[in-house]
Amino acid sequence: MAATKKISLTEEDLVHALKGKETIAIQALYDMYSGALLGVISRIIPHQEVAEDLLQETFIKIWNSADHYDSSKGRLFTWMINVARNLSIDKLRSKDFRNATKNQDIENNVDFIDSQRKITFNADTLGLRDMVTALKPEFNDVLNMVYFKGYTHVEAAEELNLPLGTVKTRIRMAIMELRKHFN
Amino acid sequence: MKESKAYIETGILELYVLGQLNVREQKEVEQMAADFPEIREEINAIEIAMEMYAISHAIEPTLGLEKQIFEEISKLSSKSNSDQDFKKESNSNHISSGSINSGQTETAKIIPLKQDHSVSTIRSLRFALVACIGLLMMSVVALYGAHDKLSEANAQIASLNNQRERFAATVSYMKDENKDLQEIASISGDPTWTSVKLAGTAISPQAKMMVYWHKSGQHVMVDNTRMSLPQNDASHQYQLWAIVNGKPVDLGVFNADAQPKKLLVAMKEVAAAQAFAVTLEKRGGSTAPTMEKMVVQGVVSI
Repeated sequence: MAATKKISLTEEDLVHALKGKETIAIQALYDMYSGALLGVISRIIPHQEVAEDLLQETFIKIWNSADHYDSSKGRLFTWMINVARNLSIDKLRSKDFRNATKNQDIENNVDFIDSQRKITFNADTLGLRDMVTALKPEFNDVLNMVYFKGYTHVEAAEELNLPLGTVKTRIRMAIMELRKHFN
Repeated sequence: MKESKAYIETGILELYVLGQLNVREQKEVEQMAADFPEIREEINAIEIAMEMYAISHAIEPTLGLEKQIFEEISKLSSKSNSDQDFKKESNSNHISSGSINSGQTETAKIIPLKQDHSVSTIRSLRFALVACIGLLMMSVVALYGAHDKLSEANAQIASLNNQRERFAATVSYMKDENKDLQEIASISGDPTWTSVKLAGTAISPQAKMMVYWHKSGQHVMVDNTRMSLPQNDASHQYQLWAIVNGKPVDLGVFNADAQPKKLLVAMKEVAAAQAFAVTLEKRGGSTAPTMEKMVVQGVVSI
């Protein structure tokens, strides 16, 4: 990664530039977050070409919907991730995509992607996978179903045959572990 | 303070960050965040954790994608001035930060993306066509080369076949020759065969030949290996006669070739003969010998 060439701005500047329709904002967001967004999209839609089309749609939507972003409600990157996830989940549930990928087992998306594509690990988060896999798998599974496979937490509860409250607790426990790791 | 702690522990903030709440629940969380800074902070911490989690699963996009997206967005931004009014209207169609149902709005904006996609498909198809033509031409050249080689190989096979046939003919000729030589050897060692030397006459003093006669079996053989007669031309042949009680008896015709086809030539049979003679006759032989053309003769020794 040519870090010197990449554009990086503070969140405040970015939001300001994005709302002011300055194209440098999109370039900075692309440099900073395209990999992470494609990582999220690809785990929901394990098809490179479709995933990259969705990444393009995501950036266009971010550009067009910048006015709707409200920094008092959450961080910019989280908002961007949710735009990407929502587009991907819509695609996953659309008829044409379902027909095109009938023969692919959606349950195995995460493993499939990880074996097909090289993951660009951030140096700071190296060792995270070991940590996460060391986590009680049933906690992490619920989080991954919701975050990476496009399940709602209600669907995850039905799928795992668990009470909704247990699913909520497990998601919370998994995220607590992540927070512990990143602090 | 207690209220906010209990609220945090319900796990609703995690679901908020994950976009799992409906609009009413979202509004409630946002109200709580506005009222309690520790809830605001908690949401922030959850968001950062999930962002780090996403970053740790990053996948680098294809190199050209960046340019494609920027071009798409510059197109949109140059249009945006004229769209200003439309945009203001569509702003009322508010997208909440984490709602799954928000993905359906402004799909019309995505149409140019699909057009662009078909353009790139056409371009890659064009490349494929050029590549196909190139491959076809290479195939034709290769086929032509193969055809050349094939006809060369065919010619070689034909010539080898020819050689093989000639060789086989030679072998069979040598076999025959060998058989004849063995027979000559056995004849000269066999007392039941009589060898008759025919010597040259006044008209051809150099000529000589050998005839073998089996008295009881009545066989007569001419030995080409021990023959020295002038070569006869195409319209004449030599004729062998047996002299039986003073009268000539026809025993058939033969040729005197430089390269005889057979070493041992079987002639007509004769039971009793006092002498043998050879005359040069017209092709096919005569009923009576032309005495002045007699080249060799020899008496049977008793």
